[in-house]
Amino acid sequence: MTIIEKIFSRACGKKVKPDEYIWANVDIVAMRDFGGPNVVQEFEGNFNNAPVFDNKKVVITFDLHIPPRDEKVARNQQILRRFAREKGVKLFDVNTGVGQHILMENGLIKPWHIVIGTDSHMNLLGAIGAAGFGMGTTDIAGALYKGKLWFKVPRTIKIIINGILKYPVTAKDVILYILKNLTTSGALNRAIEFTGETIKMMSFDERITMASMVTEMSGDIGFIESDETIYEFLRTHNVENIEPINADDDAEYEKIYEFDITSLRPQIACPHSPDNVVDVADVAGRKIDQVFIGSCTNGRFEDLKIAAKILEGKKVNNNVRLIIVPATMEVAQQAEQAGFYKIFLHSGAVVVNPGCSLCTTGHPGILAPGEVMVSTSNRNFIGKLGKGGEVYLASPATAAASAVRGVITSPMELWN
Amino acid sequence: MELNSVNNNLIYRGRVWRFGDDIDTDQIYPGKYLPLTDKSEMAKHAMEGTDRGEEFLKNVKSGDIIVAGKNFGCGSSREHAAIAIKGAGISLVIAESFARIFHRNCVNTALLTLELKEAKEINDGDILEVNIASGEIKNITQGKVYKAEPISELERSIINAGGLLNYLKSEYR
Ligand code: SF4
Repeated sequence: MTIIEKIFSRACGKKVKPDEYIWANVDIVAMRDFGGPNVVQEFEGNFNNAPVFDNKKVVITFDLHIPPRDEKVARNQQILRRFAREKGVKLFDVNTGVGQHILMENGLIKPWHIVIGTDSHMNLLGAIGAAGFGMGTTDIAGALYKGKLWFKVPRTIKIIINGILKYPVTAKDVILYILKNLTTSGALNRAIEFTGETIKMMSFDERITMASMVTEMSGDIGFIESDETIYEFLRTHNVENIEPINADDDAEYEKIYEFDITSLRPQIACPHSPDNVVDVADVAGRKIDQVFIGSCTNGRFEDLKIAAKILEGKKVNNNVRLIIVPATMEVAQQAEQAGFYKIFLHSGAVVVNPGCSLCTTGHPGILAPGEVMVSTSNRNFIGKLGKGGEVYLASPATAAASAVRGVITSPMELWN
Repeated sequence: MELNSVNNNLIYRGRVWRFGDDIDTDQIYPGKYLPLTDKSEMAKHAMEGTDRGEEFLKNVKSGDIIVAGKNFGCGSSREHAAIAIKGAGISLVIAESFARIFHRNCVNTALLTLELKEAKEINDGDILEVNIASGEIKNITQGKVYKAEPISELERSIINAGGLLNYLKSEYR
């Protein structure tokens, strides 16, 4: 069986097949400051004062509008704080960071878990062998009540990646290259399993980058073949009794793709689609106004580290705003200890408190019409960051190099 | 006839509104109407963001059928999209494929969907007769018959209960 088939089979106590509809118990139900208040409204509207199915399995995270930018957002956060108190569920407030990362760093997610939440990128939990799914308001409200939900078992695609990555080429370049090949509908309603020598050499942080962008291929979930790198992360984040999960040798895949990334150069997704991918060199020189380094896709320690390496002793170009946002407080503290904050602040970057920040509209950092941004986030649809703005998606290395030069720049040029 | 319930003999007969590939939820239900909460108000904006939104809203009749291409309902997960389509009187949405969350929202709000590989062969204005339980789709206008994957037992039980939350409420407790 494939990984998703194994997880669902265990959760519903029988052997499941792709395309089958099943009910399964969920291990964690997560809500965030955006979408969460609607869930509370729907829950209370339908079930009055009912308790949640298990208060240890419900988590609320604040990661989008933190601290609140206006009264409406403040009131929404107030609703969630009240709900958390009444139901006795754990709430991570404005000083923590991106929800999925917070769940992992707090040891709440284990391999084999089924996790649902109100964000579109819950599936990055596949990096540690958990099945994370973004869901709508009704789904979450129903699961809060009963602790179970219906699923359609996805078919699985296997992606084998071989070749040794050479800095400053990183996981983001690999996943953009795969997106270019599979396109934004290439994994529609499918699970993906990533494996191969490139994957095995990737750090925990790089694996998160890979898994997070399965959403952009319309995939349900992207699993990364588990090994010591993942177990090490779990152990150091208070997860006990780790039960590894990997696919069986005779697992059946709908399709198998193989990529060799040995000669891969830095990649960039041009406006307005994440699969509109070219070599950075092909669009080098294009003038930019803003750079964002962060998000659930590229806001971890390794991401900040490579940005710091490029920014060290340099200044952000006068015509560019560079905004750096660690994914979580833990990452921010590590970055501070490693001396990255000093480098960032001296380079002229704006460093924002941990969270989702410029991944989406609604947070300070919106573009004016006609402005161009290089972002390390995962989406660049029209209007994603303000009407008329254009967003390019790239790695933290490309983003940092572009911030220094003021034009789209391959990190190869600033790498020594 | 009771709309949106599934039993073995129920046949839906309706006129087709044809849409293309990758119709996202912002076209189905533009973001500027997200604050609306009244379902009949929401229905007044169904499909409004598509290239034929105005024509659709002026002429759509109760029982009509939407037929679309690949990845129908992609983009943001707003449930308003399914609610508005149902409110506009659409009995059934047939597409080559659906985006996962949109499909979930349809089941959860009791809007019928069927996946049909040959959806593109169906033309705008065709009259269809659809047996939801068996998945048989007769194109009366073109004289063709298709077999879609029938709706699953699980979807059927949720839709017949009137949506996910009603289903969970009515279940043993
Ligand atoms: S960074 Fe963006 S995609 Fe990731 S969790 Fe936050 S809002 Fe969602």
